[in-house]
Amino acid sequence: SASSPLTGSASSYPETSFSKKHNKHDGGDRRRKKPRNGPTGALSVYVPFPSPREAAIALRSLSPDREPRKGGISKHLALTGSTLSVRWRADEARILRVSVTSFLDHLALVMETMEMFGPPVAL
Amino acid sequence: MTVVIGFEGSANKIGIGIIKDGEVLSNPRRTYITPPGQGFMPSDTARHHRAVILTVLKEALEQAGLKPADIDCVAYTKGPGIGAPLVSVAPVARTVAQLWGKPLLGVNHCIGHIEMGRLITQGNNPTVLYVSGRNTQGGLVIAYSERRYRIFGETIDIAVGNCLDRFARVIKISNDPSPGYNIEQMAKKGTQYVELPYTVKGMDVSFSGILSHIEEASHKMLNSGQCAAEDLCFSLQETVFSMLVEITERAMAHCGSQEVLIVGGVGCNMRLQEMMGVMCKERGAKLFATDERFCIDNGAMIAQAGWEMFRAGQVTELEDSWITQRYRTDEVEVTWRD
Repeated sequence: SASSPLTGSASSYPETSFSKKHNKHDGGDRRRKKPRNGPTGALSVYVPFPSPREAAIALRSLSPDREPRKGGISKHLALTGSTLSVRWRADEARILRVSVTSFLDHLALVMETMEMFGPPVAL
Repeated sequence: MTVVIGFEGSANKIGIGIIKDGEVLSNPRRTYITPPGQGFMPSDTARHHRAVILTVLKEALEQAGLKPADIDCVAYTKGPGIGAPLVSVAPVARTVAQLWGKPLLGVNHCIGHIEMGRLITQGNNPTVLYVSGRNTQGGLVIAYSERRYRIFGETIDIAVGNCLDRFARVIKISNDPSPGYNIEQMAKKGTQYVELPYTVKGMDVSFSGILSHIEEASHKMLNSGQCAAEDLCFSLQETVFSMLVEITERAMAHCGSQEVLIVGGVGCNMRLQEMMGVMCKERGAKLFATDERFCIDNGAMIAQAGWEMFRAGQVTELEDSWITQRYRTDEVEVTWRD
């Protein structure tokens, strides 16, 4: 287990990839460096819809706007049948959480809209 | 017959309006108002809009007495504005456009104001003063020329409305119904004029220096009892409005224009209209202004701009319907005018 420089005694917490990255205490450069092994946060969400057309409507309503944050996060939307899938990759858990929360708020609004004003007209 | 529904939610107002061939069929709106001393934060504003938008949409359809099938086009604010609220409104417009099988149109917010102003006042070809709290766009003098709304003068830093709103926070007056309205009421009771910087730079104006000055001055002068908050409100209005009248007059002289149209939230201010009216009278020009239904951000103005754009054959593809915080008025090709 990791040893804490503050108390000098062994820490009872197991060493994780998070603690290895953030508890270096090397006394040198305190700025967070980009992880060398790639993104440290990933999440996939699968949203079922009543039909492929409705899943496509949701995708086309939610995909045009870019992520407000320029770097450190990527989000990919895709369709499989009646399921909308969303896949995130992020450099940090915090960035991932912000993007996912925002997306879910907008997804909920789109789904409420579809419920209130749907079903889609015949093509 | 062309019926367009417009969605507006780029700042703290969320409005949805329906226009049929120049007639406003409905225009419901809600405003997110914060306590005195506080401005509205993006994510709180977005949350407010998301909570009420579907209710306002139902109201718009009910008050117009229309069904979705009666709508020909769905217009929404593409920008400029604040990211979080913009991005909370656009998906609803995109969703109903797809559900109802109607084309989508992304509208420039400022052009929405201009087109509504033109519709309501029937001005021939006025010099337009767009005054609002909208940063980078809230102190614009515009004139139409060859398919563009050309910017003749603008604020080089903050919007005039932003300057007024932030001063309202300093003296902690109510944001209900809007900080600008309350500054206007207090200004009417002002009895002395306090000298403030006057910053016109050629065709442009600057407000951030005036704001810093009055923020500092207000602490000193109010504490020492040298003047009342009403006097500062009065002095601020006189100063910034004079600057706007000056650059408007300069543009009119340049274009040989005999008409002025004031649009945007600050356009509701009767003192600004009065001062502009004096300048117009001296030049033998006409002044046009709209009332608070249309000065203040609303959905019908987006519908009206959408109506013009749609009839000129414009459409926004879903993939291109992303919102943008920065969107200059002169970027849009005004295909609906000669």
